[in-house]
Amino acid sequence: MAIILSTNQPILSIKNLEKSYGVNQVLNGIDLSVYKGQIIGYIGPNGAGKSTTVKIMLGLEQNYSGQVEIFGSDIANEPVEYKRRVGYVPEVADLYDNLTAHEYLTFIGELYGVDSDSVDQKAQKLMSLFGLEDVYHSRISSFSKGMKQKTLIISSLLHNPDLLFLDEPIGGLDANSVMVFKEVLAQLAAQGKTIFYSSHIMDVVEKISNRIILLNEGRIVADGSFEELKQKNQEGTLEEIFNQLTGFDEHKDMAEQFVSIVQEM
Amino acid sequence: MKEFPTLKFLNRFKWVFEKMGVQYPLLRSILQVKLTMDQRRVPTIFDQSNAKKKDQNHFLKSLGLYAFYGLFLIPFIVMGNQYLFQMSMLFGLMMFIVMTSMISDFSTVLLDVRDRTILSTRPVNRKTISTAKALHIIIYLFFITFAMVGIPLIVSLFTKGILFAFLLLLAVVLVDIFVVVMTSFLYFFVLRFFDGEKLKDIINYVQIGLSISLIVGYQILIRAFEFVDLEVSFSPDWWHIFFPPIWFAAPFEVWLGSAGGPLLFFYSALAFVVPVIALIIYVKLMPVFENHLQKLSDHGGQKQRKRKWSYSTLLKLICYTKQERAFFRFASLMLSKEREFRLKVYPSLGLSLVFPFIFLFNEFQNKSLEEVASGNFYLSLYFGSIMIPTAVIMLKYSGTYKGAWIYRTMPVEDYKYLYKGMLKAFIVKLYVPIFLFVGAVFLWIYGGSILEDLLAIFLSTCLYVALCFTMIRGTLPFSESFEVAQQSEGWTTLPFIILLGGFWVIHLFVLNLAYGVLGYIVILMLGNLVAWRKIVR
Repeated sequence: MAIILSTNQPILSIKNLEKSYGVNQVLNGIDLSVYKGQIIGYIGPNGAGKSTTVKIMLGLEQNYSGQVEIFGSDIANEPVEYKRRVGYVPEVADLYDNLTAHEYLTFIGELYGVDSDSVDQKAQKLMSLFGLEDVYHSRISSFSKGMKQKTLIISSLLHNPDLLFLDEPIGGLDANSVMVFKEVLAQLAAQGKTIFYSSHIMDVVEKISNRIILLNEGRIVADGSFEELKQKNQEGTLEEIFNQLTGFDEHKDMAEQFVSIVQEM
Repeated sequence: MKEFPTLKFLNRFKWVFEKMGVQYPLLRSILQVKLTMDQRRVPTIFDQSNAKKKDQNHFLKSLGLYAFYGLFLIPFIVMGNQYLFQMSMLFGLMMFIVMTSMISDFSTVLLDVRDRTILSTRPVNRKTISTAKALHIIIYLFFITFAMVGIPLIVSLFTKGILFAFLLLLAVVLVDIFVVVMTSFLYFFVLRFFDGEKLKDIINYVQIGLSISLIVGYQILIRAFEFVDLEVSFSPDWWHIFFPPIWFAAPFEVWLGSAGGPLLFFYSALAFVVPVIALIIYVKLMPVFENHLQKLSDHGGQKQRKRKWSYSTLLKLICYTKQERAFFRFASLMLSKEREFRLKVYPSLGLSLVFPFIFLFNEFQNKSLEEVASGNFYLSLYFGSIMIPTAVIMLKYSGTYKGAWIYRTMPVEDYKYLYKGMLKAFIVKLYVPIFLFVGAVFLWIYGGSILEDLLAIFLSTCLYVALCFTMIRGTLPFSESFEVAQQSEGWTTLPFIILLGGFWVIHLFVLNLAYGVLGYIVILMLGNLVAWRKIVR
């Protein structure tokens, strides 16, 4: 890539980001700087504002207050160019599933300005690495959940992006594919790519991220490596830290109630 | 993906788009994908086995149908020189057909929320996306309109001359713009005030309403031709302003016809000005519209569950086991909530409601109220059951057919409860309302003496439903996709429609016997008892 970034210049910086839907304030002032090579585990309970932040960064949501800079330029002023270097795996498998994987992936490649022959080759190779070479010319609507997810992952990487937004990317993937994918992320990060990984599966986040950001009620309540969070909160696992920081300690109680209701007849 | 001739044609205007600030190669890719998907918009689920089969162009096939509709426009062109009247009819029909297809076939395209995640997250500018969307609609409309108007246009060229044909062409384009913008405004307003679910419901009801009016309108149209011989004195009036087809017909009268006057000039002006202004507003509002489109993916907020009148007592009377009651409730929810099912079945229900009256009106045309009341035309209530065979077949389909795994994984002792519950729900939810309404009207006309006849009709319908069930015996309800519904199924219902005639004839026959109807009721009760035991399993 032609753009030279000094190591201390952030890839992504968010300043005082606020967003509300009507009276409902979703983001209450987020400040965040992300640097090259980081794998951010972006976690938080449902409704904490994770998806909203990601959507704003991808230009899917306007009307926010605050500033979002990606690759050094404000995305409100330059809403298109930065996307050339951004990849995205959405939480919901939104695909044009009437198309075949071949058609879809070449289309996506073309949208990034890659010419269709080279995308085609690249897509085919990536598909076969994921064991999908046989269905490359089948319609996506016939795919299983895991196959769709793999297609989505491939479509987010076709243009060799520098910044990746992944929203629950491993849903439906089998254990082996998950291992491959985790390793891919680690190697991409080692080569200087930045990854924004948002998920509810704490074990995975704990393992793959080198920085964890915990969001609660539209605010960042924790930011640091897993080790740092562990020291600060005196808990053993990310799950426990998560529970502690989001003020949730009644899981045993609730489980007991749940089971007793199940047993009522 | 194949090269579309349409897109090759578009290449010539590349420079125009680039001047507008559109990323032309991307625009082209997007359109190519969209057109490819249009062609495939039929089966998607069962094609894993024949994925390599050649694409069939379903869209092109549907154009044939539009061309056929178009033939009905020709009479309005050739029949005379009452331009205002003729052309109003023509544009009315055309607007109706275009609007129907916009709403029923193209809503999915207009309201595709996947566009946001797939296109907007990529380096494509807004202008390119909205231009692609607009072009997609234009291409679609172009084909539909010209499939429909093509032949009439040629006919008009030869019978009415070049000026007429030119005017027609221009008016058709304006009508198209008008319809598209109006449809979008409709969506816009609904989305402004309601959520996506509501919009889907409204689209659904519009589709149902339009298909009913298409058939009823056809009936009226046939009757309208009877007036054609009469001298139509159709002069412009101020209240015509509420009928857009008349605006578009006005220029024909002004330039080619005999009439004139300020009102007609005003309408002609409207025909040109309104679509253009509407288009400008539309383009300006496009971004706002796109934002509202987000709502489509939002699921409605918490809804207060309305405490409805509970069936439970009634339910115990008609369903005798717990499981049957459960299936009854489930089926009645499916019948009333599932949009695709509603779309396929409700139009014919509407017809069931209308048909008896159409026959009754025919009856009234020749006779006085007293004469009618002394006859036995209330038996046309049997026509209300004519939709039953088709509707019963539809019971095995559903838009959410994949949910049918529950039948297999549940400990269902005997599927007969499932079938009984479903059929009873069908009768109670879909047939009874129609029966009660039409029956009430007939009761008002014919008096209390037909009560026993109504009972006999109701009982024979119940029996009829059980008999119709044989068509779907062995399949699970709501378990197949509508897309596999075969055209040939239309024929399997034919014997059952004849059977319905049989019921009518028997009823006519027993009317002549002393206590015949009462006896018939007893026989029907026994018949129901046997049929529901023996057949519905």
